[in-house]
Amino acid sequence: MKKNVPSLTTTVNGSTIKVDKVVKTICPRNCFDTCGVVAFVKDGRMLKVEGDPDHPITRGHLCVKANTYVQRTYHKDRIKYPLLRVGKRGSAEFKRASWDDAFDFLIDKLNYCKKKWGGESLVEYLYSGNREFLAKAISGRFLNLYGSSKLVGSFCILSGLAGATFTTGTQHCQSIEIWSKKAEVIMIVGHNSSFTNVHSLPFLWDALERGAYLIVVDSYLTPIATKADLFLQPRPGTDGAMVLAMINHIVKKGLHDREFIANYTYGFDELMKEVSKWTLEKAAKVTGVEPEKIAKAAEIYATYHSHMETGWGHQRYTNGHQTQRAYSCLAAICGHIGKEGASCNYFELLAYKGLLNFDRVMYPRGAPHKTLKRRLINISTFGPALREAKDPPLKAVISWRGGLISQHPNVHRMTEVLKKLELFVSMEIFMTDDTDWADLVLPASDTFEQWGVHPSYWHPYLQIQMPVIKPLYESKPDIDFWCELGRRMGYEKFFPEEYTGLDWIREFLADDISHSTIKNALASNDPIRVPEKYAPRIPWSDRVFDTPTGKVELYSTGMVEKGKKYAGDWHPVPHFEETAESPVSRPDLYKKYPLMLISQHAPYRTHSQWFNIEEIQEIEGPPSIFINEKDAADRGIENGDRVKVFNDRGEISVIAKITNRIKAGVCEVNSGIWVKSNGSANVLLEQLIGGPRDVGAGIMEEYDFERDGHTIAYFNCLVQIKKEGAYA
Amino acid sequence: MHNHHKAIFVDTFRCVGCHACETACKAENGIPPGPKWIQVMEVESKVAGEWTIHWKPMACMHCGSPACLKVCPTKAISKREEDGIVLVNKDLCIGCVECFRACPFGAPQIGEDLRMQKCTLCIHRTSKGGIPACVQNCPSEAMYYGSLHELSKLIRKKYTVRSIGRIASVVNPTLRPNFV
Repeated sequence: MKKNVPSLTTTVNGSTIKVDKVVKTICPRNCFDTCGVVAFVKDGRMLKVEGDPDHPITRGHLCVKANTYVQRTYHKDRIKYPLLRVGKRGSAEFKRASWDDAFDFLIDKLNYCKKKWGGESLVEYLYSGNREFLAKAISGRFLNLYGSSKLVGSFCILSGLAGATFTTGTQHCQSIEIWSKKAEVIMIVGHNSSFTNVHSLPFLWDALERGAYLIVVDSYLTPIATKADLFLQPRPGTDGAMVLAMINHIVKKGLHDREFIANYTYGFDELMKEVSKWTLEKAAKVTGVEPEKIAKAAEIYATYHSHMETGWGHQRYTNGHQTQRAYSCLAAICGHIGKEGASCNYFELLAYKGLLNFDRVMYPRGAPHKTLKRRLINISTFGPALREAKDPPLKAVISWRGGLISQHPNVHRMTEVLKKLELFVSMEIFMTDDTDWADLVLPASDTFEQWGVHPSYWHPYLQIQMPVIKPLYESKPDIDFWCELGRRMGYEKFFPEEYTGLDWIREFLADDISHSTIKNALASNDPIRVPEKYAPRIPWSDRVFDTPTGKVELYSTGMVEKGKKYAGDWHPVPHFEETAESPVSRPDLYKKYPLMLISQHAPYRTHSQWFNIEEIQEIEGPPSIFINEKDAADRGIENGDRVKVFNDRGEISVIAKITNRIKAGVCEVNSGIWVKSNGSANVLLEQLIGGPRDVGAGIMEEYDFERDGHTIAYFNCLVQIKKEGAYA
Repeated sequence: MHNHHKAIFVDTFRCVGCHACETACKAENGIPPGPKWIQVMEVESKVAGEWTIHWKPMACMHCGSPACLKVCPTKAISKREEDGIVLVNKDLCIGCVECFRACPFGAPQIGEDLRMQKCTLCIHRTSKGGIPACVQNCPSEAMYYGSLHELSKLIRKKYTVRSIGRIASVVNPTLRPNFV
């Protein structure tokens, strides 16, 4: 249904102009919102972007970042042509090369590695810089033909996903269009929607204005927490203890949903046995939240028609899988699952459940079949895997759409292991931390220069990423790079030259998304509501739970089964264990490093992207650390002082911002700051991951991304802060 | 100041300090890093024993009786009768920054041309029936544009909806000071 036909007349730089072309596309960053975008083009140049008013969720608004897309796309620092390393690795000294020379270099190296160590000595490093799915599937086709190791997992959400999946089965989200109209109580957990999910806010405000009650749980006073009727601020990594006490309190008060428990859950008695250990007072002692507040949150959540949005902050700890388990169980014992306006949202898996035909693209007829075993490498332990892989060792890495150095913990160990590679290729838009370490830097095309397919992981809409302008400079769209590499390496028949992005999209989308739907979608490129079989309107309204017992598993038989096969924390009822690096679990470290470091996602970046954009830098200011008033006073630190933040793994130099948004004993550095600016929190982190499965260095034969877990424990870090000198 | 004069109203309960208005303004008006026609300010304070944070996007207020206009020695600043927009004529501005010192809100900005520049209420859009870029873009839908008459009605309506909403609320908490 079209509401607006974008006009060719628009305003740019304070005046009205007429453009040649208006294209509707999508912002394909790794973000809940996946905004509809309208791009205005004149004489082949994109002059302006604005939000697409026809997008039912993002409604014509863009975030602080997307408004700078024109500046970013035409930024003077875009990588314009291939670069070959001339200096030492890490020295960032390069010479210009042609694409022919670049391919020759790359193919020689790949052939050498394959001959010497075998195909599995190569692994791609791919994350979500452009979260569009099509090029990922096409790189998958090449790597399958080549026989490389296969990258699996995600370091962002999977511990929580395992916790949620073991409880309620396959995860889908009830759309905010629905729950925001019906929920009486809204509980937001570990989710700073005000920065990472801004387009949820108008829906949320409408709900609050109509009288809904907002509970927020976060270790950080987020903007959304400032709007809450009740805000609980547990010590980082202790939500689990609090939730177990909430469940205990709810049942003691008789506020649980007996009928739902009896009909649709499994293992209530076992859960009760575990939670009976958790009194309000005990939880208060562990979490630092007053017992009255825990009780109040529990009573209000249980009593009314309550919806829970669980984000991902609370699961970025070594105990994250159990924390999400506890939240999902809390929703279940109150019966707040599968009802209009009362569900427990974690992640919308629509992209992974048949809507996108990965198999057809990755394993075409005549290529090695998908059942052929390839060694799996877990992205959450990418550094350890590079260090420890044998038979064969990992010797070649092609990194694209990701920040291998900026996004992984213990950066210094990562750069050490990069020195030992035979080949490190970085395909990028800007000279980032990664490119500095590459042998070959390839100029990638950005968002507006290529085709793509992008379903959301939070709302049920899919949109096509459209090429708005021609690839800039000598950059190549990701699809073109992988196809050309394939052709040059002798797989011509699998990468037909005449294939357009659109041909690939037709092959990629499920058969029940008809060509006419795609054609219609492309004519206007309005968002497509994904068919309900891939993204149900009210998940679990049929009370069918994809767990071994077919019920909501308070006692997880799925975890028990997994535990028979793999090492890990398969404790079948949610339980609380201190995180691996906390004041309680590591009193030895705590003596030296008495502050817990967490890192929120600021509105200024998606991960490390936009760090170098001046329009953003002038808002955020130089890399900084939030430090509590008391901790600052104890150290003689004043607002604006330059401070050193350090532990045994490294140190960074940042500006102190004194605050009370975090409690004493906690400090916060925004995530995604580039390592070379000397302000990246990841320099200080230990290589720790959440469970449930223990994968060691992450070199695996089998992997179940819905149930095995592995979120990097980004918030498990103890540090000390020292004043350096006043910041001029 | 007349009731038909135009203004921006920010519902500060809805503002979360996402700063999208700042980059929307820059993109629309072609402003390089440096001058900020709109800037979101943040204040942390303790309310009823709990720490909280407030945000307020600050642009030119297009005052009824602009302090900048009165002090401008070259009469470069004017206020339009039809919509109340306060404008600076760059050809007359000498960059003395008297306006900068006079304005209580820090609205005047100085660009690389050493002349005063500031929010025009997106006059190129609003004079043709559009709304300012910051308002149109606000992801939180916290900003509103209209005549003072329209805005007054809107604020009254918002207050009414919220107070009724709170009465209708099943949980019925105490009214939050920044909510109404």
